[in-house]
This record gives sequence, C-alpha cells and structure tokens, in this order.
Amino acid sequence: MARSKKDVSRRAFLKGAGAGAAALGAGIAAAAPKGPKVLGRAKTSVNFELNGKKVTVDVEPRVTLLNALRNNLDTTGPKKICDRGTCGGCAVILDGKPVVSCMMLAVDADGATITTVEGIGEPGKLHALQEAFLDADALQCGFCTAGMIVGCKSLLDANKSPKLGDVKAALAGHICRCGTYPRIFEACLKAAEKLR
Amino acid sequence: MARKVKTKWGIEGQVKEVEVSIPDADVDPWGMDADLKVVGKRHRRVGGDLVVTGRAKYTFDINLPGMLWGKILRSPYAHAEISSIDLSKAKAMAGVKAVVARIRKGEHVHYAGQDVAAVAAESEEIAAEAARAIEVEYKRLPHCVTCEDSMKDDAPTVVEGDKNVTGGRRPGREEDVEGALKESAATIEATYSTPVQTHSPLESHGVVVRWDSDTSMTCWASTQGTDAVRGQLAQAFKLKRANVRVITDFMGGGFGAKLSPGPFGLVAAEMARETGKPVKIMLDREEEHLATGNRPSSIQKVRAGILADGTLNAWSNEAHGTPGVGGFFGVPSPYIYKFKAVNVKSRSVRTNAGSSCAMRAPGHPEASFATELAVDELCAKAGLDPLEVRRKNDKHAVRQREYEIGAEKIGWKHRPKTGSQTGRVRRGMGLASSRWGTNHVPGSEVQVVAYNDGSLELQSCVQDIGTGTKTVLALIAAEEFGVKPSDIKITIGDTNFPIGPMSGGSVTASSMGPAVRLACAAVKKEVFEQAAGELGAKPEELVCADGRVVVAADPTKSMTWKKAIGLLGGERLTRTGKRFEDYKGFNDEVGGVQFAEVEVDTETGEIRPLKIVAVHDCGRIVNRPGAESQVIGGVIMGLSYGLFEERRMDRQLGMMVNPDFLWYKIAGPMDMPEIEPVLLEMANGKNNVGMYSLGEPPCIPTAGALACAVLNAIGKPVRSLPMTPDRVLEALES
Amino acid sequence: MKPFELVQATSAEEAVKATTEVRDAKLKAAGVDLLDEMKAFVTSPGRVVNLLKIKEMRGIVASKAGTEIGALTTLAEVASHADIAGGYAALAEAAREVATPEVRNMATVGGNLCQRPRCWYYRLPVYTCLKKGGNTCYAIEGDNKYHAVFETGKCPIAHPSNLAPALMVFDARLHIAGSAEEIAVADFFSMKDIKRENVLAHGDVIKKVVLPVTKMTSAYRETREKQSFDWALTSAAVGLELDGKTCKKARVVLGAVAPVPLRRPEVEKLLEGKEVTAALAEEAGAKAAEGATPLSMNKYKVKLIKAVVRRAIVAAAGLKGD
Repeated sequence: MARSKKDVSRRAFLKGAGAGAAALGAGIAAAAPKGPKVLGRAKTSVNFELNGKKVTVDVEPRVTLLNALRNNLDTTGPKKICDRGTCGGCAVILDGKPVVSCMMLAVDADGATITTVEGIGEPGKLHALQEAFLDADALQCGFCTAGMIVGCKSLLDANKSPKLGDVKAALAGHICRCGTYPRIFEACLKAAEKLR
Repeated sequence: MARKVKTKWGIEGQVKEVEVSIPDADVDPWGMDADLKVVGKRHRRVGGDLVVTGRAKYTFDINLPGMLWGKILRSPYAHAEISSIDLSKAKAMAGVKAVVARIRKGEHVHYAGQDVAAVAAESEEIAAEAARAIEVEYKRLPHCVTCEDSMKDDAPTVVEGDKNVTGGRRPGREEDVEGALKESAATIEATYSTPVQTHSPLESHGVVVRWDSDTSMTCWASTQGTDAVRGQLAQAFKLKRANVRVITDFMGGGFGAKLSPGPFGLVAAEMARETGKPVKIMLDREEEHLATGNRPSSIQKVRAGILADGTLNAWSNEAHGTPGVGGFFGVPSPYIYKFKAVNVKSRSVRTNAGSSCAMRAPGHPEASFATELAVDELCAKAGLDPLEVRRKNDKHAVRQREYEIGAEKIGWKHRPKTGSQTGRVRRGMGLASSRWGTNHVPGSEVQVVAYNDGSLELQSCVQDIGTGTKTVLALIAAEEFGVKPSDIKITIGDTNFPIGPMSGGSVTASSMGPAVRLACAAVKKEVFEQAAGELGAKPEELVCADGRVVVAADPTKSMTWKKAIGLLGGERLTRTGKRFEDYKGFNDEVGGVQFAEVEVDTETGEIRPLKIVAVHDCGRIVNRPGAESQVIGGVIMGLSYGLFEERRMDRQLGMMVNPDFLWYKIAGPMDMPEIEPVLLEMANGKNNVGMYSLGEPPCIPTAGALACAVLNAIGKPVRSLPMTPDRVLEALES
Repeated sequence: MKPFELVQATSAEEAVKATTEVRDAKLKAAGVDLLDEMKAFVTSPGRVVNLLKIKEMRGIVASKAGTEIGALTTLAEVASHADIAGGYAALAEAAREVATPEVRNMATVGGNLCQRPRCWYYRLPVYTCLKKGGNTCYAIEGDNKYHAVFETGKCPIAHPSNLAPALMVFDARLHIAGSAEEIAVADFFSMKDIKRENVLAHGDVIKKVVLPVTKMTSAYRETREKQSFDWALTSAAVGLELDGKTCKKARVVLGAVAPVPLRRPEVEKLLEGKEVTAALAEEAGAKAAEGATPLSMNKYKVKLIKAVVRRAIVAAAGLKGD
C-alpha cells in the first residue's frame, strides 16, 4: 500500500487533537480563536438572493434548501417528490446552474443567487418557455412542471439551439408520472426557436 | 318523460342519422355534424399559467399559520405483534405537540409500512426525528410476501382469520379447452407474469386539516374524490357532512390511489383536534410505495391454440396474483379477442405487503400483456400475421377501423418475419388492443353562476386530478355562452359546491360535460325569456354568440350578455345541471389499438422503443391537446410498466427493497420513443355532448404491444414484465 | 435527519482536525450522498464537517506532470473540461454518465470516490448488516439483482463510483490530508475493513486527484436498465497505448461488478502486443467475464461485462462499429 506516512504519525496526530475535541464538543464554545466557524444545532441565519430579492432565512443546519424555500419562504414552486435527488421536481437554478435543492443544505446556499420557477415568469408576464408549455399542453397534473421548466430554462441559457437529444439529456433527471415528456420536448424546442 | 330527437352518430366516414330517445329535460345532443366553435379545438389548459409559474397551490403547498407537521411511524416488519409502544421520549422532545399510537399492545401489524404511531411537531424536521423516537417492541411473526410462499400448504396465515388464497372462478370447462387444443394447428403452453406496480403519483398522499370549531373542519386533500373524503371524515369524527369542507384545487396525480382520506388523513385530523392547530401530513416517497396501494402482480399459466385459418380456438388461464393484505386480484382474460373454448381460473393470494387498490385500468394491462403475447406466439408458430389474426377475432367495429389506421401509420407492411434477424441490434413491431366501458356517474352536478356584471362561474366539488377537468368544463360552458373559455371562472374541488363524481373509472369528464350543458341551458333559458321582449323575438329564437345574446335569424338584433343578465334583476342567477343516464347510443365499448416498433440490443438485452402509434376513441373530443395528452401519458405509463417498473420484495425480511425512485424505475425523458396519438373522431349519441371515457384505456395495450414487438425482433418471447435486460438475455438464451 | 453542528472548514487540514476530534463526525462535500444516508437515518452524525467552502480544493489545472483535479470539482466540470475530454476521454465519459445533470452540477469528484454503497440492505436503517457492523449480509441470500458478480463471498456490494474505474486506467494518485499524503488510486479502494470501501482513516480528506500524463486513448462504457437517470449495471473503462494498430499497453477496469473497481490484468495481457481488432475486442470481453461468481439473481451481469469491455475497447481503439 502506497501510504507515505506511517501509522505511528497518525496516532500521534490524533492524540494531539484530543484537547480540541473537548472544547468543540461544548458546542458554542467552538468559536475559539482562529478555529473554523461552527454552526450549532440551533437556527442560524442564511442569506441569499431569491428570484431577484435578497432574503434571510433562519434555519437549523439540517434543513435542506428545498425545505427552507417551501416551509420558510413560502416558495412552493419547487416540489418535494422523491426528496433524494432522483426526480428533478425541486430543481432550482443556483448561481447559474440547475441543482436539486432537496440534496443540499440551506446553509450551503448562503451567498448564492437562486432562481426558482417563480422567478422565471409570472401570470400575465410569462417567459417564452412557459408560454410554450401552455401551447404544447406540456403539463397534466403539473407537479413535475416547475422542475421541468427550470431544467429547460437552464438548457436554453447554455444552448440557444438545442436538438431533441439535448433536451432529453438535459431533463434526464426529471420524472413525470402523467407522461408529458414528448410535449415538454416540443415546448422547449419551440421556445428555443422563439428566443433566438 | 322522454322525447325523440334526430342526431348523427358514428365514426368518421361511417356517420348515420338516427333517432334517439332522450329525457324531456335534456338539451338536444350535439351530433357528429354539430357546428362547434370552441369544443374540439386546441386550447390552453385552465389554470396552466399558475402551474408553469409555480403559483398553483397543491395540498402539499398549503402552509397555514401555526400549522404543525405530522409524521407517521411505520412497522419495519411484515408481520408482528406489538409488545409495547412507548411514546414518552417522542413526547418529551422540544417542538413536539402531539404523539398518538395507532395500534395497541397485543395487536398485529400485517405488512412492513403499516402505520403504528404518529407525531405532530412544529417543523417537518422535528416531526421526522420524533417519529423515530417512539419506541416500539415487536414480536415478529412468520410472514409471506410472495405468492409462492403464501400458497404453500403449510404457509403461515397472512391475516389472522382470513384465508391466504381465495377465488377460483370457472366460467368454462377445462375439457372443452382440451378438445379445442387438440384440434388446433398450433398451441402454446407458457407462463406470463407481471409485477406489482405502484401508482407513484408525484404529489404524495396527504392532507392539511384545520378544525374550524369543535364540530367543523376544513381539509385540504390530495384526492380523487373530495366528497368521498368529506363523507369518511364526517363519519370518523361523527360530524355532519355539512360541517366538513374538503378542498382540492390543484392535485398532483392519483391514478386510482387517492379515493379516501386514508389512515394518514384520519390521524392528521385527530392530532389537529388534540392540539387545536392545523396539521399537515404529506407522505414521503417510501411511504407512498409501501402503504398507499398498488397494482397486484399476476402469474398467468396459459394454454392456448389457434386454427390454421387464424381462428383463436382455445384459451386456458390458471391465474393468480397478490393484492397484498387487502384488495382483490383478477384479470379479464382472455382480453379483447374471442376464443372458441375458454376456461379461466383465478386466485387472489394474500401476502404481507401493502394492500392493492384500483390502479389505472385495474386488471386490464395484466390481462392484455398475457393475451397479446400468447396470441403472437401462436401466430409465430402457425405462420400467421398478428394483425390479420386480431382483425379476424375481434368483432368491434370501431377497433376494426383503428387497426387500419394504426397499421398504416406504423408501416406494418415493413414488419420483418419473426426470428429472421441475426444482427446484434434487431427491430420488431407488435400491436395490442384495449377496451373500456362508457362509464359515467348519473346525477353528477355542476352549477353555473351568472353575475349581473356579466361574469360567469362554474362550481362543483368535482376535482381535476391532472386530466384537464377544469378545461373541459370551461370549454363546454364557453361553447354554450358564446364566450372565450378564459371568460369563465372555474371553481371546483370544493365540497361547498354541488357534488360531482369521484375520479375513478374514467368517468369525470363524461359525467360532468353533459351536466355543464344542462346548467348553462337553464341559465340561458331564463335570460332569453327576459331578453326576448327587448329584442322583439321569441326566447327559442335566441342564441349566445361573441359575448352577446343574438337573434339567430337576424344577427343585427342583439344585446350584450351583461345587459341581458341585468334584465333579470338581482345580483346573480345560479342554476344547476345534473347528469342524466346515458341513452342508448352507437357504441358501448371504448376501443383502442396501439402499434409499437422497438430495437433490441441482443448483446446487452436493452430494449429501445422507437415508435408507438396509439389510436383511441373517446367520443367527442372537447379539448384536443388535453385528449392527446391523456393518450400520450397512458402510453408512457404502459411503457414504463412494460420495461422498468417492479416492486421488489425481500422474502426473508418481508419488505420492499426499492421504495424510492432510485431502484423503483420509472421511464424518464431519455427512454421516450416517438409517440403518435391518433384520436378517432366520433359522436357516440349517448349523451348531450357525445363524450365518453379516455383516462384509463391508453395505458392498457402498451406493454403487450412492446412485448409482441420484442418477440418479432428476436424470435423469442419475454414473458415476464418488466422486460429488463436480464430477462431479455435469458429469453435469447432459451 | 437528526440535528448536527456544522463545522465550516477553511482548509483540508482544519477539516481533518475537526473530524478526528469527534467520534461521530462526518465529512461532507456537496452532501448528495451523505444527506441521502442521513435522511434515511442510516447515519446520524452529531457533527458534519463541511468541505464545500475550501476554495483551493476546486478546479482543474493542467501541468507538465499531468492534470490535477481538486476534490471539490463537480462532475459536470470534469465531464465538460476540454483537457479531460481530450486527454482522458474515459474519465470525461464516466463523469457524463453519473446520475443526472442537476446532481452532476453539485456532486464532487471526492464525493464520487467516497460515496457509500447503494446496496439496498445497507441503506435500510432497521437492519445492521455486515457492512454496518452486524453479522449478516442480507444480499447474499436476498435480492441481489444489482449486486457484485466478483468477490461475492462476504459483502457483495457493487462499487457505485463511475469515476473510479476511469481513474484506475490512468494510474491516478490521490493527495490526502490526514493519515497519509498520497495514495495511488489502485491502492485506495479496499474492503479489507468490511465497514469501509477505501483505505482512508476517519477524518482523512482527499484534496485532489492527480492524473499523470498519458499516451493512452481511452473510453468508458456502461449498460443500464433505463437510459434516463439510472445506475450502471456494469461498466468498463479501457485505456490503450497504441503503436499504429498494435496495443503496447492496456488497462481494463470494471465498475459496478465487484465491491471495489476491478482491474483485469488477464485481459490487459491478452491485448498487449496484439493488433486491436473487433475480434480481439470480443475475445477480451469474454476474458473479462471469466472467473465471475455471480449470485442467485445476477448472472446476466456476466454477459454484460463482455459487452461493455468489448465496446470500450472498440471505442478506445477508434475501431468502426459500436
């Protein structure tokens, strides 16, 4: 095995760390000089930009970004469907890239810029993509739709002239149980055409 | 009293004028040639703008002031006696407001996933943690989670007091089948199996319950039946139905699994009462798979024979399947096609797994898969064309037309000879059919409110589960009032309004549509009576068009709808429409035929569906894109069933090992073939709109059509669903 | 999940310290896998040490010695980086096939290597399997459709990392903070301690992955049940150093078929010194499947090994066909 340090040194290292453990174990006392910042189990303030507005939300470190959006900020466009990153229902655009908000901690979004489906357009001022979804009847129950629009928007931001295969690949992490996929592809391609 | 009217019915190209007897109070039916401005055209979905902008509020999105989050603790064991339940640790946790047991010491749980206790807490996170802090001791009992285990002579009892195996229907005699098999030109003996499929609606089951007083409550529910939920909540809490209000505005899919408040709804209401605060319980994905229903599995042992002329001659099916701890297994077998001698034995096998419930066309996809693949195996053996054999053994006039259309569109004439290919990647085609009843719920009600400012509203407790019910209602009313669909406000999914049907059996649109026409007609009648004098015409000479009340024969004479409704005095006019029974019409069976083309990689066992042509009829089409979407969606659910989905149970542990979307695999965007929906134009002459069911049929034939296409491609049948690579490779080796 | 305190480490060394000083601490990069386990209560650390803010652990840098990939670099960055796609195609292809576009924007290289098994028995909180310190492996007698077909004796997980086989093809080295400084990726994956899948000690942090300069052309292929988000049933990463059509050096590593990424020296030997043809690729595929000991429900995987190895060789050698 190509370990370049001996196990001896590892044990020595651990021994040396013992005192710190006691200090950090006390929780808040961890704000010791020069040590890393420690967020206790209680609520902490998280700041980010949400759909163009600066927001602050007080959440425990264990709260996911999705739960913070839905339960604390009443931003219920992102949906909780699988809660494991496998369905795309909770997708949001974070610092320009689509991510699944159920699989990240809200505290990790501190300082980020987040766009949810609510920030892409609003009734009366729909984005071309949203118009295209309506024209193509690209929604049935609508529970996957928010995530699908976020997925399509991210694609179109990066690729002005996607082909059918690109749309399918961009949405590969999204599930629709009603079976709207073909119409979503159609809507995305039509919107791309319109936006060019 | 009945009256007779003339109308045109039939399918495109085969329309005839007939006289039908309709109730006196009904409006004249729209015939095949009705000149409709709104209905049958392409429209956007009502409420779609709220959905695409994330503003639509589903039950999952209801957050009320002071609301608590509920979470249910479920048994990890398939069969166990409760030795003790200790709620104290959970109760002591900060933020926990209620902890209740759902089962008592000494009682049994009968499947992994059965509810044992529940908590309500100030946050979702605390609730999840607190549920796990409840201490339960189980005394494990022997279980059976597979049919094989449950059917053994010495099998442990699944549910105390019940037999493990029930049924044994015998409509025919095995001797007849034996004889028919002997005279057949080709016979097969094979076992077909289908998996347990879970509904997996994307919005999980759940409610938000708020007690408005000691004797009244409001419940937001993700349900397919607002009125059913109201009735069951009222009964459970001994409330007057009038004092329970159930609201379902936007709803994230159900597929048959959301027809009651469920145990979670009852415990949410119980904890809301105990704490005096609203309680929200939305199940998570695991609970959704384990405890909210499913489509039973099936194992169908088939013997079948065909004559040299293509006559289907013999069918014997010894079938069983498991509906879990409750529900019932059954298959309408043989499906669609007429066999001369038939004998079917069907047994329902209880297992210690979550109970089945209705799932989109219960029994049909299972029956279809086995029948269609068996027929194609017979065709391959006898050297017959599967399309011709189906046409010969299916007398349904509408499907006959659908076979023609589909064959043309898929290019059936290019279908290769079964088993003739040798390349690594092989192509094949197959077809399969569906049938459904012209189901509807007489008495379904809707009311129209015409306000004196000219605005119009449609109200009913009927819910839109994603099928587009709101849109269908709006379009029919817009047609009647001569206005744009967006001019009509649709307020449904609220039990404060007249009672509509539960959305099950594909009844919603066809139950509500005719009622809408009647409600509109009642309003128009009164308005026309007032307006007639002003316009110098008789009431029956008036029509609604372009937002005006117009003299039909002289369009220069008209007034705005707002003025006309103002003539009545008062703030508003409210009139109800109530669905009559269907009258005798042209077609009592909804048809459908699907053709599939696939590519099979014989090295990896991967099946790539290339194209599916789905030809279906639904009577009059109200919103064309919506109807097409139903068909496309059904095909995709059928494809997913055929290729990917399977509840996997561990026999020894007695639990589902894939209660998620990682390993319970649902077709995604990359798995999509080209799908061409074809709606066969027709008016069925059975109700004043001429519509009937479409929700369920399109999911039925897809798996069978794919299986037949795979057989055509590789020359070997894949007899178990889902047709995953392991099974394809195994078939290739056989 | 249970509540925890979150330590915002600003350096790998700080993270090591914050992790090792507490027994129930866990390291977190993006957290895609850790949160999954925590939500299911499979693990409930009292402290989570967050690596995500350590800037110097991000990014891809090319140098004369090769290419360095910070452990916090996302899979999307690996998949789309020109140097990776150009020089280490198998790695780019492997990254491209991971999970979903959204997950690839979050998930990190380090996380992909250190993710825990996807064995559904391991992920059940109610049962303490062998890997979780118990006495029983539930997969061997249970539903093992997606489990290993090599080294199936004790704990037949199928190693879930896509990147690992590709990194093994290129003899990548891992720079570590903690109990070691550097580990060859070939020595990294190990089930010697059945509770772990690698040799890292508690608190060890992978800082970066170093890819030596290579003359190999390479490819990664996998098969799945679904084309949309799905786990590989089998995968193969192949690297070939070619002199004309002749293979001078070969690397063949299988993924998703053994508890660790599985190098196949016998297949490499078969390829080396020979002209790479479709027929040789076929032969190599068959060789790669030799010696498999499949479980009750996963014999099909053995056939799939032949397919992915053949295809990866064909692609790496730039042969015509699939």
